[in-house]
Amino acid sequence: MQSLSASSIEGVLLDLSAVMMLLCAFACLGSKLFDRYVAYYALQSVVLSFAAAVVAIHLGSGALWALAALTLAVKGIAIPLATRRFLLHRLDLRRDVALSTGLSTSLILGAFLTVFAYLAIRPGTLPHALVASAVVPLSTAVILLGGLCMVVRRHTIAQLIGWLILENGVFLGAITLVATFPFIVEAGIFLDLVAAVLIMITFVSGLAQRLATAAAPDLRELRE
Amino acid sequence: MSTQDGLQILQSAVVLLVAPLYAGVLARAEAIVQSKRGPSVLQPYRDLAKLLRKGSAISDQASWIFRGAPFVAFACYLTVSAIVPVITDEPLPLAFLADLIGGAFVLALASFSISLAALDCASPLGGLGSSRTTWIGSLAEPALILVFFTVGALSQSDNPYLENHALAHSGAAYVLPTHVLGAVAFFIIVLAENGRIPVDNPSGTIEISMIEESRVLEYSGREYALVKWGSWMKLFLLSSIFMNVFVIPWGLGNADSLLGGLQGIAALLGKLAVCGVGIVIIDSSFAKLRFFRIAEFLGASFLLALIGIATSYVIGK
Repeated sequence: MQSLSASSIEGVLLDLSAVMMLLCAFACLGSKLFDRYVAYYALQSVVLSFAAAVVAIHLGSGALWALAALTLAVKGIAIPLATRRFLLHRLDLRRDVALSTGLSTSLILGAFLTVFAYLAIRPGTLPHALVASAVVPLSTAVILLGGLCMVVRRHTIAQLIGWLILENGVFLGAITLVATFPFIVEAGIFLDLVAAVLIMITFVSGLAQRLATAAAPDLRELRE
Repeated sequence: MSTQDGLQILQSAVVLLVAPLYAGVLARAEAIVQSKRGPSVLQPYRDLAKLLRKGSAISDQASWIFRGAPFVAFACYLTVSAIVPVITDEPLPLAFLADLIGGAFVLALASFSISLAALDCASPLGGLGSSRTTWIGSLAEPALILVFFTVGALSQSDNPYLENHALAHSGAAYVLPTHVLGAVAFFIIVLAENGRIPVDNPSGTIEISMIEESRVLEYSGREYALVKWGSWMKLFLLSSIFMNVFVIPWGLGNADSLLGGLQGIAALLGKLAVCGVGIVIIDSSFAKLRFFRIAEFLGASFLLALIGIATSYVIGK
């Protein structure tokens, strides 16, 4: 398998897009408006599709091109649009108040998690210097930040966005670490994602209609 | 007088004379974005001419600190104008005076003297302004130092000219995460240091929410002209450092001929237009932050620079 070294121009571009994705995750963690969450997620997905395209150019693989296009269409455009139209507008969500920590605290926690990701995954610990050196720790950091978003946010929609960010991190790691991963598996994951968002939309809309809230702490009593 | 000396004088003259124009253009552009007509771009020059003609009223409680501070601050900005890359790509004769950290110290000295002056005449708003500016400064300083570390990681120095060369000669260095993060962090600091929108409203006239402006409320006449001029020079200098060192390291003039310097001026005006557009967009699309959220804003800058350094540690360059 060909390797993407950090010194090649593709490697640098990959590093750069990984950093941009990390920034989007931080921006999402540091914001309080539902609109912004979705916007940052969309931006992150667009950068992710760019990263996939870079890997596709490097490996000359048609399947990866398809994946990049699919990422852009589904994660960059379809999911943000659907979330905005069917969840944010329908539920009239603007400002997220259901945070379990302050913004600064969550940003500091995020910084700690990022440093942890860097320390835990040094390039030297990878099997062969397989990929651009910063991508793997950065994708780990994005995964951890997505998880952190889900932990500190208590609103269901915000947790959904956190989960989508986490998934973006997994995807970034997947396309760089195991670029020869069968296309059908990746496409299957996509399908899962779309299904999950659809379920979320129907589920949350239904919940909100009945209970007039979708904040997780208030959902303890589901019994009528 | 050699060409180099000529360029040195030309560079400081550019900073001195174009800075009010830059502020005027920014104010005009902001007004246009807000569907107002706005003052002429030459308004800062008219203000300066008017203020310089007037006498100044000084409180009888004020000491020599109050009288001296505008001159100290103005001298600091002039010093910085001699040492950073504004129009040429090679250091000019006086550039040995300070590196980036030294330049930051000189700028901090200017801010310190104005803060002292604001405390000196014991007006309540002056004290408020000094306290707020110092608090913001104390948050911006660590972030700034970390930005210099990202510069150091890239060019193995803290010299703006070497950083400029390292970036201008290598496309790979330009897109390194370390550099991109450092540049964004520096831009946040530029906004905070100049009291631009998310931190402070530069055109603010509401006393209770002003930060920078409330330090200089007591000044009038000539001293006020110097203080205003100084703050425009600071905006101009930080913008041109941001553009010449971090964003567009190309197009600086050749340091061997006066023609190179003139060409550098033309390029600089173009770059500042780009930077001005960025500042105007931010000014008109964000609201002023609540005072205690400024810490989060500057914390973001700190965080970006920190991640940049951590990345350079992992990538190994």
